[in-house]
Amino acid sequence: MFCVISAIVLSILGVFSASNRVLAKEALDCVFRRVTLRPCNTGFDQKMKARILGFVITRSENTARFLNQYFEVLAWGFFVLLLTSGIFALRGFYLFYTTGSCNGLNSTALCVFDPTGKNNETSVIDEGCRVDQAGRGTGLTLKDVDLSGFPVLNSSSPDKIVFIGCYACDYTRKAYPLVKKLVEDTGASFTFLEFPVKEQSDLDARFAYCVNQQDPLAFWDYSDLLFAAEKVDLDNEDFLSDMVTTVGLDNDTIKACVSDPATETGFQNQQQQVLNTNFQGTPTVFINGEALVGPKPYRVYAIRLDGFFYWLNN
Amino acid sequence: MKDMLSYRKDFPLLVTAPGNKPVVYLDTACQSLRPKAVMDAVTRYYMEEPACAGRSMHHLAAAVTRDVDTARSQIARHLHTTRNEEIIFTRNTTEAINLVANSLGLKLGDIVLITDKEHNSNLIPWQRLARRDGVIIKVVPTRPDNTFDLAVYDTFINEKVKLVAMGMTSNLDGVTIPAQEIIKKAHKQGALVLLDAAQTAPHQNINVKTLDVDFLAFSGHKLLGPSGTGVLYGKYKLLEKLEPFLVGGDTVAFSTYDSCEFLPPPAKFEAGLQDYAGIIGLGAAIQYLNEIGFDAIQKQELMLNEYLTRETRDLKGMHLIGPADARLRGGIFSFYIEGLDHHRIALMLDQMANIVVRSGQHCVHSWFHARGVAGTVRASMYFYNTLQDVESLVENLHKIRKVL
Repeated sequence: MFCVISAIVLSILGVFSASNRVLAKEALDCVFRRVTLRPCNTGFDQKMKARILGFVITRSENTARFLNQYFEVLAWGFFVLLLTSGIFALRGFYLFYTTGSCNGLNSTALCVFDPTGKNNETSVIDEGCRVDQAGRGTGLTLKDVDLSGFPVLNSSSPDKIVFIGCYACDYTRKAYPLVKKLVEDTGASFTFLEFPVKEQSDLDARFAYCVNQQDPLAFWDYSDLLFAAEKVDLDNEDFLSDMVTTVGLDNDTIKACVSDPATETGFQNQQQQVLNTNFQGTPTVFINGEALVGPKPYRVYAIRLDGFFYWLNN
Repeated sequence: MKDMLSYRKDFPLLVTAPGNKPVVYLDTACQSLRPKAVMDAVTRYYMEEPACAGRSMHHLAAAVTRDVDTARSQIARHLHTTRNEEIIFTRNTTEAINLVANSLGLKLGDIVLITDKEHNSNLIPWQRLARRDGVIIKVVPTRPDNTFDLAVYDTFINEKVKLVAMGMTSNLDGVTIPAQEIIKKAHKQGALVLLDAAQTAPHQNINVKTLDVDFLAFSGHKLLGPSGTGVLYGKYKLLEKLEPFLVGGDTVAFSTYDSCEFLPPPAKFEAGLQDYAGIIGLGAAIQYLNEIGFDAIQKQELMLNEYLTRETRDLKGMHLIGPADARLRGGIFSFYIEGLDHHRIALMLDQMANIVVRSGQHCVHSWFHARGVAGTVRASMYFYNTLQDVESLVENLHKIRKVL
């Protein structure tokens, strides 16, 4: 069993050191012999045991004695540990690949492949966002959320993507183009739910609301312009007006819409619908009902629609 | 007499930087360390006279020729022969023995006598002759303590024996055979004698004239010389008759398209460009050894071997190979400990205290096979070893025994 552990450990170390590569080769030869039901006559295990004992004996004779007596048992123990940690490592890698976190979808626990947790970062909603957290439900859901009235693309597609974002949120800005690309690649239905988690986004959210009311198709161009704009411009009415003109809409009509009390009521109703999803920050993306919090890599979104080997479909 | 410790400074490996663990080199039977004088001689060849000996006429060639001749002369003097032509340079003892085996012209039914603990170098060449030419190998058994039994030898030596080929000092246990008596008895029966002196030449004064030995082989790398150097001594009248083993450049006086005339010994046996740097280094090694003197070397080895023998006697499961009397084992202390793998002991000693020893069957597989011993640990000492070296070995052996 010692050969198996050595083969694994030394193969890894062998990537960095030539001397370990030689030992790894010996260990692998030993493993191969064992697997093919031949005796391991290279003496590799004896050699390594002697080296280990020689090292330990100079530090603690009792430890060396224990090690000598239970060497095979310890080797089995380490093998089990190695196997277990190997399985967990593979699981972590699989989860990272499919969810963007080693610990599963939306987990913010430490992941070695994403140590800063950037795949799970969100602009959190709190009192600063003028949202009263008291009494809010838990568990992300689209159940009982009325999505009518929100801008939607490819509405007839069976694949449904619902994106909750804020124009001024950096993480939304990171995720939005990826999700848009996914929509272009797959033709999935895409519903955009704007929620201004940043105060500077209050005005642009209302402009966007009115643009959608005026021309749902022009909304997507307008939305793209806002995501591409500098954040400081998002609460600049002149800038927002310029963008309205850019997408070919009448600026006076939109301004009138923004200042219309009925707009505020409709806007607040939509905000309440967004809050009904129990989301905690932007971006939060629902793909066929499954919630993904934070800006995930493109593959994570794509896997939701096209499976593990999503690239084969493109 | 110079303090033996003073020689250690000549061996770079033994000069330990402060804070570093010193190397305890106890594998001289495999290969000795080299003093700076030898390394300097080798370097000097490459730096100052990197030319061919005996071929070109320029001053560099003349310098190399002179130095190679000097080395040959040093070795001849070392073996107490007056004829430099009796010294043939080879790559090692093995090549020297192969030269004799392939040149002597032994034929079907000729008997070659060997002992039961020959190094493969002095076994395999004869085995090949046995298979190829029908030569008969007879093995003279040693006593249970591995010492040579002349009475048993008497029962083997007869007129059918054409060659007695024996290791003069065993690399297994350090026991030296009574060569002079063996040779006398062999000559009486008309047999020639070849001695494998690989383990003798570094430790004992060898007088080929007193011994009256016909052929004697040894390696440079065991007596402070460079690797890849060896010597075959042969009586000139025998060398003259011997067919060369390897032929080619530098072995002939002239050649035509269909014939050639070989040069006299030693040239006819030294085919091709020689290892001049090695040969010159070997000369320097012999000179260095002579300055120390074999009496001093043997005294130091005996002191160390007696200490080792005494201090490990009570080690549980200890089996010493060879006679109990350290005086009969030169600088070799070969042993195994029941229940402990010999390789494991060697590796642990290396790991624990930088103690470098050999483990295994030491190229004497036949003896181990016959005696049913798996292998031994062999500590082989030389004049540069100290009491601290063997004390460290003893201390760590006791520790291993205690723990395992």
